[in-house]
Amino acid sequence: MAKTSKPGGAKAKPGKKKKKSGPESIAMKVQAPKPNPFETIWSRRKFDILGKKRKGEERRVGLARSRAIEKRKKTLLKEYEQSGKSSVFVDKRIGEHNDDLGDFDKAILRSQRERQLKLNKKSKYNLSDGEEEDFDIPGFGALSERDDFGDEILPDDDDYGGDDAADIEKDSAGLKQNIMEMGSGGDENKHKTKKEVMEEIISKSKIFKAQKAKDKEENEHLMEELDKNFASLVQSKALSALTEPGKMNALKSLVKKNIPNDQVKKDDFSVSQKLDQEKPDLYDKMVKEMALEMRARPSDRTKTLEEIAQEERERLERLEEERQKRMLATDGFSDEEDEDGEKPSAQRPRAISGDDLGDSFLLDEEPRTKRGWVDEILEKRDAEDNDNEEGDSSEESESSENGSDEGGSDEDSDAREENPSIKDWEQSDDDNLETDVDGEEEEDKENEDDDDANEKVMKPRDSSKAQEILAIKTSERHKDSLGSRKKNADEKRPSTRLDIPYLIEAPKTLEEFCALLDNCSNSDILLIINRIRAGNAIKLAAENRKKMQVFYGVLLQYFAVMANKSPLNIELLDLLVKPLMEMSVEIPYFAAICARQRILRTRIQFCETIKNPENSCWPSSKTLFLLRLWSLIFPCSDFRHAVMTPAILLMSEYLMRCPIVSGRDIAIGSFLCSMLLSVAKLSKKFCPEAIGFLCMLLTAAKDEKLMSNQNTQYYYLMELKELKPLLCLRGRVNKIDPLNLFTIMDLPEDSSFFDSDNFRTSVLMTVVETLQGYVNIYEGLSSFPEIFLPFLELLLEVAQQESIVGPLQDKINDVAQLIKTKVHECHMSRQPLQMRKQKPVAIKMLTPKFEESFVKGRDYDLDRERAERRKLKKLLKEESKGAIRELRKDNYFLHEVKAREKALAEEERTEKYHKVKAFLEEQQHAFKSGQLGRGRKRRR
Amino acid sequence: MVRPYAVKGKKKRKKTEERYDKEEEEEEEENHDQELDTVQTKEEEEPDQEEKEPEEEKDGDSVELEGIPLAPSTQKPKDQPGVIFILEKASLEVAKVGKTYQLLNSDDHAHFLMKNNKNPGDYRPDIAHQALLMILDSPLNKAGRLRAVYVRTEKGVLIEVKPVVRLPRTFKRFSGIILQLLQKLSINAAGKREKLLRVIKNPVTQYLPVDSRKIGLSYSSDKLVKMHDYVGTFSNETNLVFVVGAMAHGKIEPDYVDDYIAVSGYPLSAAYCITMICQAMERKWNIL
Repeated sequence: MAKTSKPGGAKAKPGKKKKKSGPESIAMKVQAPKPNPFETIWSRRKFDILGKKRKGEERRVGLARSRAIEKRKKTLLKEYEQSGKSSVFVDKRIGEHNDDLGDFDKAILRSQRERQLKLNKKSKYNLSDGEEEDFDIPGFGALSERDDFGDEILPDDDDYGGDDAADIEKDSAGLKQNIMEMGSGGDENKHKTKKEVMEEIISKSKIFKAQKAKDKEENEHLMEELDKNFASLVQSKALSALTEPGKMNALKSLVKKNIPNDQVKKDDFSVSQKLDQEKPDLYDKMVKEMALEMRARPSDRTKTLEEIAQEERERLERLEEERQKRMLATDGFSDEEDEDGEKPSAQRPRAISGDDLGDSFLLDEEPRTKRGWVDEILEKRDAEDNDNEEGDSSEESESSENGSDEGGSDEDSDAREENPSIKDWEQSDDDNLETDVDGEEEEDKENEDDDDANEKVMKPRDSSKAQEILAIKTSERHKDSLGSRKKNADEKRPSTRLDIPYLIEAPKTLEEFCALLDNCSNSDILLIINRIRAGNAIKLAAENRKKMQVFYGVLLQYFAVMANKSPLNIELLDLLVKPLMEMSVEIPYFAAICARQRILRTRIQFCETIKNPENSCWPSSKTLFLLRLWSLIFPCSDFRHAVMTPAILLMSEYLMRCPIVSGRDIAIGSFLCSMLLSVAKLSKKFCPEAIGFLCMLLTAAKDEKLMSNQNTQYYYLMELKELKPLLCLRGRVNKIDPLNLFTIMDLPEDSSFFDSDNFRTSVLMTVVETLQGYVNIYEGLSSFPEIFLPFLELLLEVAQQESIVGPLQDKINDVAQLIKTKVHECHMSRQPLQMRKQKPVAIKMLTPKFEESFVKGRDYDLDRERAERRKLKKLLKEESKGAIRELRKDNYFLHEVKAREKALAEEERTEKYHKVKAFLEEQQHAFKSGQLGRGRKRRR
Repeated sequence: MVRPYAVKGKKKRKKTEERYDKEEEEEEEENHDQELDTVQTKEEEEPDQEEKEPEEEKDGDSVELEGIPLAPSTQKPKDQPGVIFILEKASLEVAKVGKTYQLLNSDDHAHFLMKNNKNPGDYRPDIAHQALLMILDSPLNKAGRLRAVYVRTEKGVLIEVKPVVRLPRTFKRFSGIILQLLQKLSINAAGKREKLLRVIKNPVTQYLPVDSRKIGLSYSSDKLVKMHDYVGTFSNETNLVFVVGAMAHGKIEPDYVDDYIAVSGYPLSAAYCITMICQAMERKWNIL
């Protein structure tokens, strides 16, 4: 056919790809055909990004366009041209479509293919003509680089030379060899004869056996050596140091037996084995013993609280038994009052409770730290004895009064009656007690710790208070002299030692307890209490809790009774505080209940007494003692506490409602004030009653003529209106004595002591000092000036009186000055009322959203599926756009082609038309002119 | 104000609604103020027994002091003139280092920059970071008086920074955000569609208010002024545009600047210079 050479569209593609690869090739290609000026316009980049490969620069719009047109010419145009035809010419010549190949290379490829065809399996049995084989391959010279098989042939040649020798001789060309190898090469290792295999197996087993024998020999050798070494070791003294002598002998004998064994071994192995089997038990035994010997023992585990308590109890039991024995052996110790000098107090073992802090802490230290003021007082006692002569003078009347004091004795009897009732609560509360207490105990322990801390803070409190509160206690001394009880007599014999049983059952009632303590000295009482507590520790048994609760009630009652006795046994009371506090820690719930019930009853009584104004309704010494005890036991600083809150309220109520009739009331009131001060010191609770009371006392110190209650804002709070100038001093007193509360408590209301200036001065002193304490703790209050400014005036007025001189005046002035400065400070810190400023509202800031490591083109959507979908959509859109673009270009191209064809056809047609027309015109012309001759002429 | 049947998910509607809410709130506040006023007048008749609370308590608890009236709230910052900052010649440039794109800085890319014949000392995006932090953290901005910040990079890319953006504090995160910005051309707020940072078309003058006064800060200027006094010379209604250079070396010379000033005899860092401007403006407008 005439149409030749042009390849189909599909075949042209691989070539195209290759063309694009390198920029150089592009440059070559472009330059070669024609320098189209439009193709030189390249795309421009907006930003020059450092470090970015210049890939985008290679794209040239013009060039790409012309190339696309070329491509269409090859493909689309062809298809278009073929579209009207029924047959296709396909050029299948080898290498014809590859534009890179030259004519020579094409020829080589074709000849290779021809040879391959000849040498493949099908043509294997074709008889060769001989002539064709003599293809002059040497004539090709060096093989072209493009010969794909050239490299593989040469190395393969050497390996398989032996088998294929016959083929090789025919031709030196590599092609053939290769193909032949494919056919026949490769079963070299397959055939091993059976004989060979068997031989191999036999030889292997032989080698294995030899190896085994060798190993055995080596083992024996090693064992010999070990035995020798061991023998030498035994001979040396090194081992003897480590083992016991008895074993050493056995070892030596063993070695002696081993040594002959070794010799025998050398001779005959089997014999040695026999001997070994006889003896190994001895050796093995020793080895085992040695292994067991060196083992470490586990130490005792840490004891729990229960175990400690148990041990303590056991110890006490043992001691008790010993005591009983001693008692029996040495006859006459049945009387408890007998002396027992063999145990000095220092050596005597003291009971240690489960949560004791240690020996040194309890007995000696604790009372001292807790109630330093008491000790101080006790030391002072003798000194003060002389001062209180007035007290002495009225002893008789006091005692009678005490005897007839209805309130006190009533309370005592109440206390006795209360005992069963306590039990009742205990019974009823037992159920929840058992469950609650464990939890509460820990809590309260903490509280208690806090309390201790409080105590320590309070302890170094100003000596004024110490003096004031229980300076107060001295009176007890003179009561000793007239004391009807012989207890005091007992007390005075410090050497007295009772033979106290070590194990004491907890007493159930006060009577039992009193019987137990009868005729005991103070320290012995404490000892008994401690032993009761150790013997019935809660940790030991469940029922002990109940026992201890009962005992606690009894002890508290005892404390109350002791506090109400007219000759106060201060020392004993001090000592009782300690066990009471510890037990309150152990049974906090019960302790709180007891305290609450007592407070409740006291309050009810108080309400009763206040109804008839004749009675003095100020609290008795028992109440005061109990309040003080509770303030020690329970945390005062709690905002709300089951015991302390009612206690404080009760104290405040006393201050508020009790009318001041006598000097004694003043003393008790000021004592309550100072107690409230100590309670409120930490929490800084505001007690308006105490402040009001102090204010009133100061007002009472003024002259009568100035007694107009114009300025006291507390005045309307007080129920008692008729205030006499009880504290107004008549004469000058230079010496100020600290007051003793107990003395005063015992004095009758109409005692002349209360009218003395001495008493008034002292009271004023304490009042001023208490006031100072309040000033100090309330300085943080913002209403400080309003509270204390009235005092300032009062103090100044009182200080101006000519009867007040010396230290009292100084003190008053000091306190006034203090108030003045504090008030000034407070006023300074105040700011005028001003409009509430609106806080400027800042604009709302927004956090930008960005990725930690942003890569362009990656979708940072968290929803993977959505991201995937979006990606696919994008791809689809891109592709469809591309396709549309291509189609449009194709159409444009086709349209162009068609238009060209049409133009061509038109041109042809017009030319033809013109030609025909010209001919016709000529004819017409000839016809018209009459000369048809031209044709004729031509013909001619 | 609001269309009765709103179509969901339309931005326009959202905006109008927000505005509406704001107005409502304002109204409520005003009502509240009035109530408080009446309460106050009642209370003034009674003797003032109460203690006045200390300052801190008052600030902490507004509930306690209901009787004390609120001071009248100040004018809305939107109606007041504002400040615009333009950071010129910021060196925020992205390059392909290794396989990833990174914001060039002199610490991490010194070797890379030397290899490409660049001076590492010129690549200081931290200056722009500090300067932006200073602007955006100032009370001036918190009070809403900052209108916008424009950053023009060395390459001429103009970036608009909204005043509400809370820029990352660390430099690493800052470079991350700028990197993303320069490739994506905008940064959205987290959880919102609002664009906080975006690349915009030059020139910057088309975004500046018409009556604004453009002040360039340059150490090289002969006009050494006290910032507060200088700022005081402008009337309260003029918007001020400050053009500060955020580059390590060289000076700014944009053509749109009306006046070049120097605020110190010493060459200052961009961040400090900006704090000086901010403080002067705060003093002028009584922003505390």
